[in-house]
Amino acid sequence: MARMKFLCDADRCIECNACVTACKNEHEVPWGINRRRVVTLNDGKPGERSVSMACMHCTDAPCAAVCPVNCFYTTADAVVLHSKDICIGCGYCFYACPFGAPQYPKVGNFGSRGKMDKCTYCAGGPEADLSTVEYEKYGSNRLAEGKLPLCAEMCSTKALLAGDGEMIAQIYKERVVKRGYGSGAWGWKTAYRETVAI
Amino acid sequence: MSEDRQGDRKDGLGRRQFFRALGGGSVAAAAAIATQPMTATSAQAYDPGADETKARYRETDHVKAFYRSNGYETLKK
Repeated sequence: MARMKFLCDADRCIECNACVTACKNEHEVPWGINRRRVVTLNDGKPGERSVSMACMHCTDAPCAAVCPVNCFYTTADAVVLHSKDICIGCGYCFYACPFGAPQYPKVGNFGSRGKMDKCTYCAGGPEADLSTVEYEKYGSNRLAEGKLPLCAEMCSTKALLAGDGEMIAQIYKERVVKRGYGSGAWGWKTAYRETVAI
Repeated sequence: MSEDRQGDRKDGLGRRQFFRALGGGSVAAAAAIATQPMTATSAQAYDPGADETKARYRETDHVKAFYRSNGYETLKK
């Protein structure tokens, strides 16, 4: 059985934020919520690195472990989803998640939170596939359409990989064998000479 | 004034007696709950049904094209 995974090739990501924009547009994500974001380390310095981050659909998901109402479930292809009908917006999953994936819409003027929202791996939610109710709550269900998450499909530099874990691991291995990694990568010494090493 | 209070107490349950009785009752109720054996219940994960947890991923031509365009020479063959 294929296990769905994301993998961001930090040697290729140029922090264009197209994945963030594509995700927001595809799922009509509300204001104040980003299901995906780009994190940049050593910004502006030689050797800076950017990584596109979203829900990593953990095998033993900490968000599911702490949820007091057990609204999370894992599909057969290892995508971690949740039910917004059951979620009470307590925020425990936000504290448990090491990637900061769960987000909450602001629903009032006094800091009250709405139902949790996170990356669904473009796989919708517990409602019927490709239904209007599913789209309104969770966004589009591209996996049911025979496609992959739009963030990965949109990536202009092919940095963000999505799909069967075995397959994307094979693609990444081939890249590393062919071009190297970090300061050993092709073109690194032309850009930074010997002054920066990772 | 003080005679009225005395009169109230004589008529029935006074204010202080009332709250004392109420407090005693709740302590007794709490003690009764505490002495009951705790029954451990395992956490029930949300199960939306087999239809919603089934695998939706399919290796369609669209997905194969994505792998082909991301891979190097070996995947392009």
